[in-house]
Amino acid sequence: MEGKHDVLVVGGGLTGMRAAVEAYDLGADVAILSKLHPTRSHSGAAEGGINAALGNASEDSPEEHAYDTVKGSDYLGDQDAIEVLCEEAPADVYQLERWGAVFSRTPDGRIAQRPFGAAGEPRTAYAADITGHVLVQVLYEQVMRRDIPTYEEYFAWKLVVDDERCQGVIAWDLLGGGLKAIGAKTVILATGGPGRMYAGSTNAYACTGDGMAMALRVGVPLEDMEMMQFHPTTLASNGVLITEGCRGEGAYLLNKDAERFMVHYAPNAMELASRDVVSRAEQTEIDAGRGIEGNVLLDLRHLGAERILEALHGTRELAMTFAHVDPIYEPIPVRPGAHYHMGGIDTDVWGRTALEGLYAGGEAACVSVHGANRLGGNALMETITYGKRAGHHAAEWALSHTTVAVPPSLERESERELQMLIDRTDGERPWKIREELATTMHDNFGVFRREDQMLAQGDIVQGLRERYERVVVDDKGDVFNNDLTQALELGFMLELAQCMVASGLARKESRGAHARPHDFPNRDDVNYLKHTLVTWDDGEPRVDWRPVTITKWQPQERTY
Amino acid sequence: MQVALKVWRYDAVAGDRALREYEIDAPEEATLLDCLDIIKDRVDGTLAYRKSCRMMICGSCGMRVDGAAVLACKTRMHDIAQDGHVPVVSAMGNMPIVKDLVVDMQPFWGKINAMKPWLEPGYADPGEKEYVVSQPAMDPIQKESLCIFCGCCVSECNSMESDPEFLGPAALAKGMRFVGDPRDAATVERLQAYSEEHGIWDCTRCYFCQERCPKGVDPRDAIAKLGAEAMKAGIDSDMGAKHAKWFVTSSRTTGWLRETELVPKTQGIVRSLKEVKFAMGLLRHGKVPPPVPPHVAKHVDEARALYDLVKSQTRDGAAGIVQGEKALSRIEFEDAVERDPYAEDSFPKPRLLGEDAAE
Repeated sequence: MEGKHDVLVVGGGLTGMRAAVEAYDLGADVAILSKLHPTRSHSGAAEGGINAALGNASEDSPEEHAYDTVKGSDYLGDQDAIEVLCEEAPADVYQLERWGAVFSRTPDGRIAQRPFGAAGEPRTAYAADITGHVLVQVLYEQVMRRDIPTYEEYFAWKLVVDDERCQGVIAWDLLGGGLKAIGAKTVILATGGPGRMYAGSTNAYACTGDGMAMALRVGVPLEDMEMMQFHPTTLASNGVLITEGCRGEGAYLLNKDAERFMVHYAPNAMELASRDVVSRAEQTEIDAGRGIEGNVLLDLRHLGAERILEALHGTRELAMTFAHVDPIYEPIPVRPGAHYHMGGIDTDVWGRTALEGLYAGGEAACVSVHGANRLGGNALMETITYGKRAGHHAAEWALSHTTVAVPPSLERESERELQMLIDRTDGERPWKIREELATTMHDNFGVFRREDQMLAQGDIVQGLRERYERVVVDDKGDVFNNDLTQALELGFMLELAQCMVASGLARKESRGAHARPHDFPNRDDVNYLKHTLVTWDDGEPRVDWRPVTITKWQPQERTY
Repeated sequence: MQVALKVWRYDAVAGDRALREYEIDAPEEATLLDCLDIIKDRVDGTLAYRKSCRMMICGSCGMRVDGAAVLACKTRMHDIAQDGHVPVVSAMGNMPIVKDLVVDMQPFWGKINAMKPWLEPGYADPGEKEYVVSQPAMDPIQKESLCIFCGCCVSECNSMESDPEFLGPAALAKGMRFVGDPRDAATVERLQAYSEEHGIWDCTRCYFCQERCPKGVDPRDAIAKLGAEAMKAGIDSDMGAKHAKWFVTSSRTTGWLRETELVPKTQGIVRSLKEVKFAMGLLRHGKVPPPVPPHVAKHVDEARALYDLVKSQTRDGAAGIVQGEKALSRIEFEDAVERDPYAEDSFPKPRLLGEDAAE
């Protein structure tokens, strides 16, 4: 065993760092393990902001925040979890400010808040359009302050399960080489989403769903895997995200005739309808030939140079670099792109999973606060509030239990398995499988879904999994062998893709991000007001169900 | 498009270095990072480099192109390829190479950590509310807050090349992020710590960090702000501070830089005595004017008026530099444009259903 801790947090993004800080403050011996340096995490790419009912821009309340979130989720969100999030959010944001987060300010010096999609009030606290970056910095500062040890550039590959509880991870050490076992009384998976399995995704290369797949492989159920959110404003060239904050600041969406087409789809909220609604509207316009080369246009011109430079300077930089468009003078071509996975490792409101000692939080987890469609600004809030809660419970559990064991047989077995992959010289390089997975997921499991396409996609993924069995790693060395880890990531994504397709086929209705206009165009609360739960059954996904938790809000028709 | 690249490969185990050339077919919009991906996937999987966000925010893919640090994800290959130029890609400087384009950043993180980069709140906990602070009061650290720790500035830092212990531009910019934060209570302690050897005054002001920063942090300006804040706080015993102070005193009193006195004013009388022989030589050859009587400029009153004007505006310390930065960015932006976003050849003005009828 390389190391032993009370709490081991896998993933160094916002959820992971917030969990680690909480566990440390409760007195636990905590460490972070991440395949990236923590500040490289994809949380830093979040742009628009973080939702909390601070009431700085208008009268607001946690209850209104909760209602907007429930409605946004198309009633698939668990309302107890949503209430926890919305009630704890304001204090958690004040905590971030106290730690030093550089939020933008109102004229009276309070944390500034902007309107966001499907929010009844301007509730999204922000730092210009680099909110995620600013929060990653402030949490890393707090990790440094506490001198929390970090296994940096360690690629977590397997969970250690012994005595029916999780007792650590086995990870590939990128810099030093070799597999290392790290024991822990509790493990928190904060490894983010699997968005890289889609072409045109907003996600970083690192977003390969590692934690979800690791949990799946030890029998922990994954919830609502069919719910992949498509963000309405991504750049065609490489999928880079253009923040919803643009529309929060007042930007228009136009078709090729310069028409604000949202009037046909969400006449009240217009551009600030929920993301699923806006993405479907855009795709409908594009499919009807009213787009421009597969895009619609995001028009910021009327906001003026001064406001763009002040509040959206990062967006301008991205648009100029990757689309060669200066948004002060020209609209930005945008289209829907895979962005955020509402589903994930099934947890309760303390981040606990079905496996004792194993916790999850953030995009890797499904509490579920986002249900079938996440509201912009709620993901950052979830990382903080549920990161804190997972860290809290994991630390308390660890402090009241004593032993940690990593069976040597598991270490040897893992080494043998990895060596087989490294030693293989005859077969296919991973990139082609990865690209085929990404383009077919985009085509067959995208904004709109058809039964025949989903069935075909299931077969395609199955075929890719068979080819993956003969995949070849070029790099046989020990030093910074990310050729190896990228191959392992592909293995994770293939299994998750199969879970997503299986869940999608099982849900025979249209709800949130899961839109089936051709066979089941409506929401079906009688039969499907429930979560999908996927487990791995002899190499194949098996879908079970669990009812949605409803506290105050009965399902209603959802219009914007 | 066809792209040709040369990459300095480094095998840490064998210690071998080799310049390898690659020719690939890449999409028109490909960045350097995209091209490296194509090489790694299809040509040679052993090529090592870091990457993650590919949108200029994670800071993973710092490397050198033709000897200058860049983010690979921000570097478009189209124009380079069209010119027929074959760029040489290599690992960043001032950090040990681990493999190929991957450097060991532990010394970098160690210096960031040495800044004690966390807020020491200088106010009572406001409880269930945020601390109230105006946007203009927070503006001085806006640029420093943009830093993504990519290391491009450190790669190019000339001071660090001669003194590996120099804190360097990234760490010092992080330091300024706290010194300039009105909420922080440890300003003086920070300025004292940052003013020690290997700190603020060891920067040679070559401005390479500023030139190579891909995020507009302007680390050299941050270091200048730290120096100005240190002097404002009376932390000026370092030779660098004394040197800067003499520039001000000299120009205020005589309108000139009196170089003859610069050495004793900076180094102190005792240390300067060692230089007397050298100084006499310079004097003999007419390289420096005699110290007495002081050479006073004809319009010294203008220099004094300028000094008084700056003083009267109470822009001591970093505030003056921040003001200058703002003025410059405004000038740069206004110079760049005199365009109408709704001109004849632009995309038409947006319209809403029914607006046509109204017109």
